[in-house]
Amino acid sequence: MPAGMILVVIVLALCVAGLLDADSTLRKSNAKGDGIRNEIAKTVASVTDALHINFFRNSIDSALGKNQGTKIDVEELLRQQAEAESAAAAAAAKKVPELPAPTPAEPMKIWVGGDSITQTFGTSFQRITQSTGIFTPTLDYHVSTGLARPDYFNWPEHLVKDVLPANPSILVIMFGANDGQNMVDANGKALERYSEPWMAEYRRRVAATMDLLKSPDNQRITIWCGPPPMGPGTKTHGMDQLNYIYWTEAQSRPWIQYFDTWPFFSDSNYVFAGNLPNADGVVRGMRQKDNVHLSTVGGDRLSWAVIDRIGKLVNLSAGNVTPPPSQGPPPSVVERTEIPPNMPGAE
Amino acid sequence: MLFPTVDFAVFFLVVFTGSWLLRPHKIAWRWFILASSCVFYGWWDWNYLMLLFLSIGSNWFLGLAVFRTLTPDGERTNASRWLVRIAVVVNLGILGYFKYFDFFVATITDKMRSIGISVDAPILNIVLPIGISFFTFQAISYVIDIGRGQWRKPLTLLDFAVYLSFFAHLVAGPIVRASEFAPQLDEEPDPRYVRSAEAFMLIFRGMFKKVVISSFLASQIVDPVFANPNAYGPLAVLMAIYAYAIQIYADFSGYTDIAIGIALLLGIRFPQNFDSPYIALTLQDFWNRWHMTLSRWLRDYLYIPLGGNRGSKAMMYRNLFLVMIIGGLWHGANWTFVVWGAIHGSYLVAERIVRAKWKGHELGLPPLLVKAMQWFLVFNVVCLAWVFFRATSVDEAFTLLGRLFASHGSTAGVSLLLMVVIVASIASQFVPARFPQKAEVWFATWAPALQIAALAGGLVMVDALGPEGIAPFIYFQF
Repeated sequence: MPAGMILVVIVLALCVAGLLDADSTLRKSNAKGDGIRNEIAKTVASVTDALHINFFRNSIDSALGKNQGTKIDVEELLRQQAEAESAAAAAAAKKVPELPAPTPAEPMKIWVGGDSITQTFGTSFQRITQSTGIFTPTLDYHVSTGLARPDYFNWPEHLVKDVLPANPSILVIMFGANDGQNMVDANGKALERYSEPWMAEYRRRVAATMDLLKSPDNQRITIWCGPPPMGPGTKTHGMDQLNYIYWTEAQSRPWIQYFDTWPFFSDSNYVFAGNLPNADGVVRGMRQKDNVHLSTVGGDRLSWAVIDRIGKLVNLSAGNVTPPPSQGPPPSVVERTEIPPNMPGAE
Repeated sequence: MLFPTVDFAVFFLVVFTGSWLLRPHKIAWRWFILASSCVFYGWWDWNYLMLLFLSIGSNWFLGLAVFRTLTPDGERTNASRWLVRIAVVVNLGILGYFKYFDFFVATITDKMRSIGISVDAPILNIVLPIGISFFTFQAISYVIDIGRGQWRKPLTLLDFAVYLSFFAHLVAGPIVRASEFAPQLDEEPDPRYVRSAEAFMLIFRGMFKKVVISSFLASQIVDPVFANPNAYGPLAVLMAIYAYAIQIYADFSGYTDIAIGIALLLGIRFPQNFDSPYIALTLQDFWNRWHMTLSRWLRDYLYIPLGGNRGSKAMMYRNLFLVMIIGGLWHGANWTFVVWGAIHGSYLVAERIVRAKWKGHELGLPPLLVKAMQWFLVFNVVCLAWVFFRATSVDEAFTLLGRLFASHGSTAGVSLLLMVVIVASIASQFVPARFPQKAEVWFATWAPALQIAALAGGLVMVDALGPEGIAPFIYFQF
C-alpha cells in the first residue's frame, strides 16, 4: 500500500477508534490531568455522548462488568447516615471506642481492604490474624482503586453497602497509591493532582469517608494505614502528602486510628529502603521488584506492626500475638508521632 | 512514551509523515529520525538523554579509533585490541554503575554483617535508565565488529546516532546490529510499496498480546500468587507458574511485534526476535527461538570469545554455563537472575551430555510420544526457571515451589477462562507460520475502508479487554 494511503488508513482508523472509545479516553485523561489533551478528550466525549456513539464501547464494558463505579458522592452517603443516627450516638463517638477483648470462643470480626498494596499485606494480615486464634478476618482488596476515581470503583459506597453491614469490629484500610492522579470534583471540574484545590477535594473525601466509618454505638475502630514510601523508578509520588491528610483528619476522629507505615519501610532517615532487617537482624527484601508493592516478608512485617497497634487499643491477651523475630520489625522501629506535610526527599 | 498510548499514536503520525516526506533527502531524514528518537526517549526523563548522547559519542569515537588502528587489510593490532577492551570496559562500567552498584554494595554489606562486621553502606537507590541494557549491547557489538574487521566501514556520527537511538528498538530491543541497520539508511524504499498489511498485523498482534493476554494473566493469578504464595494451594501455584510463562512471552514478544511493525511502516526491517519458543523440544532450540537477538549477541560476543566449542568438552560446558549465568545477570541485579541463568546453563550442559551419550540409541517408543515427552520436559524446565526470574528473592521462589506440594490453600484466581487462555496461548505457538502469513496476504486485499473499520474495531476491543491504564512492559526494567 502506498505511504500516503497508509497515512489515511491510520488517521481514519484512529479517529473512528477515538470516537468509539471516547469515554475510556476521557477517563484516562481525567486521571492523568492532561491540560489541553483533557479539554480535547472532554469535547470528543461530549460529542460522542450526544450522538450515542459511545453505546458500542459502553455495551462492551457493561458485558465485561468494567467501569461500573458510580457517581454517588461521599457527602451524599454521609448525609444519609447522619439522618439515621441519633444525637446520643454522635456524642459517644467523641472517645476512642472500647471494644470487648476477643477470645477464641468469641473471636473478633476484622476486615482488611484497600488497593493492590493491600493484596499482599492483606493476605499476610489475614493469615496472621487467623493464626492468633482470636480474629475472624476478611480480605477485600480491589486493584487500581482509591478515593480519586469513584467512577471506577466507589469505595465509600462499597464500604457502606457491602462492608459495614457485616459489622466488623475493626477495619484495616489502606488507600493512596493510586490516588496521585487528577480528579474531577463534584461539579465536574478537573483538578490538577496535588494542586491546592485537589488537596482540598481529596481531604474532603478522606474526611467524609472517615465519618462514614463511625458506628452508631461507637463499637468499631478503623486502623487507617497510610501508604509506605515508594522506591526509586516508580511513578507513584506524593504519598506522604496524602499521609499528612489522613493523619490530620484522623486527629479529630477517635474511631479512626492512623497507622504510620512509613518508618517500617524506610531507613533511619525515613528514606525508602527495599531491604531491611527484621527483629532477628536478618536483612530481607520488603518490596516486590516494582518497588511499590510489598513482598510477603514486607506484608508480614506490616501485619505484625498493625496487630501490635491494635493490641494497644484492645485487649488481645487471649491470642497468640507475639511475632516470630523473623517476621516482626525490630522494636526500635516505631511510628512517627507527627506526620510532616512534606517529607524531605519523600516520593 | 509507551507504544499503546494516544501520545505515541500522535507522535507516530508525525514521524510517519515526516519520515516518508524526507526520505529522499538523506541527511534531513537522518536528523529528523534522530530528533524524533530523542523526543521519544526524553518523554520519560530528559536527563537521561545525556546518557544516551554520552554512549553515542564515546562509542562512535572508540569505533573510529579502533578502525584507524587496524592494518590496511583489516587485521587486528595490539592497539586495536586495547581500544576494544577499553570500549567494553567503558560500556560495562556505565551499565554496571546504573544496574549493579546497589546490588553489589548490598551483597557485600550482608556478607560482612554475617561475619559480625556492621557497615553503613552507601545504597544510592540508583534509577535504571530505560533501555540502557539494550543500547549498551548494541554499542558494544558495533565497536567489537569493527575491531574484528567484520564491519569495514565506520559510520558517520550522524548515522551511528540514528542507529543507536532509533526509537523503535531503543528501549526494549530487538538488539539490532549496525550491519543490519546501517545499510538500510542508504536505501531508498519505494513509498508506493510499504508492507502495511504485515506491519498492521504485527502491531495489532503485539497490542493484543501485551494489553489483553499479559495484563489479564498478571492480574488474574500471577501477581497475587507470586506476591503471597503461602496463601495458595498447588493448583493455583501451578497455574500461576504456567501463566507467568505465557505472560512474559506475551509481554516481551508483544513489544517486539509492535516495534518491528512500526519500523516496517517506516521502511526499516528489524531481525526476528521470537519464533514460537514454547514449541521447542530442546532447550538449545528454545534459545534459538526466544529473544533471538540476545541469544545471537551472547553467542557472538561472549560464548565464542570465551572459547565456544573449541577446546575440550569440559571447557565448552563451562563456557555454556558461564554465558547463561552472565545472560541471567544482564536481566537484573538479583540472585534470582543468577539462579535462572544457572538452571538454563545446567540444563543446556546436561542436554549435550545426554545427547552425546544416547546418540544412536532408540527408546523403542513411538516418535510422537518421544517428542511429546521432550516438549513437556523442556517446557516445564523453562517454567521452573521463570519462577526464579519472577520471584523477588530466591527464598520466595523456593516458598512458591514448595506450595506445589502443599496439602491445602486457596484456588482463588483459577478459572476456566484462565485455563483456556493458557492452553490457547501455548497451542497458538504450534500454528504454522504460513497461516498468519496467509492472513496478512488476505488482509492486504481488503479495501481501505474495510481496513479502517477492522483496525478501529480492533483497537477498541483491545482497549476494552485490557486493564484501565497500560502497565509498563516487563522488559523495560532490563
